[in-house]
Amino acid sequence: MSDTPSHGPNLGPVKYIMPKWIRGPQDFVGGIALIAIALFALWASSDLQGMHGFSFGAGTAPRMFAVLLLGLGIAVTIVGLVTEGAHLATYAWRGPLFVSLSILSFAITIRPLGLVISAFATFLISALGTHETRWKETIIVGIALTAFCSFLFPYGLGLPMQLWPRFLVQ
Amino acid sequence: MSDLFSNLALGFHVVFQFVPWSPAWLGGVSIPIPANILLCLIGALVGTLVGVLPGIGTIATVAMLLPITFGLPPVGALIMLAGIYYGAQYGGSTTSILVNIPGEATSVVTTLDGFQMAKQGRAGPALAIAAIGSFFAGCVSTVLIAVLGAPLTKLALAFGPAEYFSLMVLGLIFATVLAKGSVLKAIAMIVFGLLLSMVGSDIETGASRMAFNIPELADGLGFATVAMGVFGFAEIIRNLDAGAEMDRDLVQQKITGLMPTKKDMIDSAPAIVRGTILGSILGILPGGGAVIASFAAYTFEKKIAKDPSRFGRGAIEGVAAPESANNAAAQTSFIPLLTLGIPPNAVMALMVGAMTIHGIVPGPQVMQKQPELVWGMIASMWVGNLMLIIINLPLVGIWVRLLRVPYRLMFPSIVIFCAIGIYSINNAPVDVILAGAFGLLGYWLIKHDFEPAPLLLGMVLGPLMEENLRRALLISRGDATVFFTRPLSAVLMATAAFLLVLALLPSLRKKRDEVFVESET
Repeated sequence: MSDTPSHGPNLGPVKYIMPKWIRGPQDFVGGIALIAIALFALWASSDLQGMHGFSFGAGTAPRMFAVLLLGLGIAVTIVGLVTEGAHLATYAWRGPLFVSLSILSFAITIRPLGLVISAFATFLISALGTHETRWKETIIVGIALTAFCSFLFPYGLGLPMQLWPRFLVQ
Repeated sequence: MSDLFSNLALGFHVVFQFVPWSPAWLGGVSIPIPANILLCLIGALVGTLVGVLPGIGTIATVAMLLPITFGLPPVGALIMLAGIYYGAQYGGSTTSILVNIPGEATSVVTTLDGFQMAKQGRAGPALAIAAIGSFFAGCVSTVLIAVLGAPLTKLALAFGPAEYFSLMVLGLIFATVLAKGSVLKAIAMIVFGLLLSMVGSDIETGASRMAFNIPELADGLGFATVAMGVFGFAEIIRNLDAGAEMDRDLVQQKITGLMPTKKDMIDSAPAIVRGTILGSILGILPGGGAVIASFAAYTFEKKIAKDPSRFGRGAIEGVAAPESANNAAAQTSFIPLLTLGIPPNAVMALMVGAMTIHGIVPGPQVMQKQPELVWGMIASMWVGNLMLIIINLPLVGIWVRLLRVPYRLMFPSIVIFCAIGIYSINNAPVDVILAGAFGLLGYWLIKHDFEPAPLLLGMVLGPLMEENLRRALLISRGDATVFFTRPLSAVLMATAAFLLVLALLPSLRKKRDEVFVESET
């Protein structure tokens, strides 16, 4: 939470976004999201076959659980409306952003560029996730870890994995 | 009785087996190595490591190491994963006592008296009692698994689909009642998990469900992918919120005098026994697991103590009881998995994942068809506990030094390990992206106080539940009352309903929260 409130004026205390009559905004929003997920699942499974005779169709169980989740979502929403509860938590942007970016970069680069470059880049990008990173030690540890992984996964564990960029290997 | 001994003998035989090992770089020379013992040691070491390091949990670690076990034989893989689980219970106590940081949720209560003891210069006895208690609990629960294993398996074989479905419902209800937080939200998470497990092709008709013609979703969401997302990545993102520099007040003084005094032993012996009993029971119950066991044991000790005010000021019972309880529970939670094929908590759910990867369908038939797998694992637990005492007591200094590794270097390493691990399962980059998406989902869930563990449990049990529900209804010709008319099933369902009502009653909810309250004070 340390650096969240200081970024931009629009990120002030989030609790004022919700109207006062919602007494537990955390549960209220959580419940609404569950309802949305349930409705989405109902829509996504609407083209599947339902019951025929005594036997389940492909769509029976998904619809059953979706309806159940819908009910639970409504219940959570109501609890959020009528009982005093926690306010919405504040979200940091730095951690989620850079960790997601690093995961994404790994997924994109692992095939064309190979493990060595991909892992090292992932390490550096995810290290951006905190302002406490000291680059010198991060780069040293990154190199060491990349070397360790390049040995462990393809050789130690025998997993088929390309180490170097494709265009170099050819 | 003779069965029991022959079973255990088989188990130890499996554990001490030598297998020829001929790595490519030795050029065809094969050397015999005790593979299972080594894997047990690796598991115990890794477990201690993650137990010591805060910010990386057992579930995330087991998920991370799942892909690594692909190349191993199934027995070895399970022995190693089990070692991580109970090893973490040992390791968690070390940091609780020495630096007031619980490495694992199961050691949270140990900080209360353990750290106080350390401050009074009695860190050595506290560590020793924690290890001795854990070892005692480990021995008792190993025997318990061996004794209960066979009869429970016989019972399970008598189960029809209706009973199985009811048992799973009961298990899931237990899991929500014994967990921390809102019962309603936990159930919602289970159902969400069940829904996620439906993605992919239907087992019976082969129809593609909720996959939107995305080829990577055709086989369903990978279990390890989701687990690593909601536990691995989400944990990291959450920890980064709090700032990477975690407050680490190291107790710098040297630990002297490891051995507890005679008085310590006398004081803690009954507490160890009580903790073991309580932990064993709570571990067998579905959903129980080690966390609640440690809290309950502490609360219990405080209640029956002649002078409760000593607690929180360095009472040795406050270390002995929860540490024995969490280790006992960690091990007895294998009982439902091995005998009924039903995972009682999220770590066991991952063990199911590991078994399925190796083509083993967990359930009562495993114990009959692959006895060497089950008994080998049980025997390995005892061996592993012995190793852990050695790993933990004399080497405690090394583990504490590890705490100085700053989180700012640890978390990018975990990200890479997770990413490579997920990629290696199917060599599919899409899986990595999916895990990232689940990481963000997990972060959102944490922010809204939804527990991710029930979600994982629901996801594992989803296919099993659907299959048994389908079969039960097919056999009964569509009559849904079958779950209440078959006696065994009716008992299970009634227990589930009873528990649910109890959990929702305000007075009982208060009691339940009281058990967990120690952590906040």
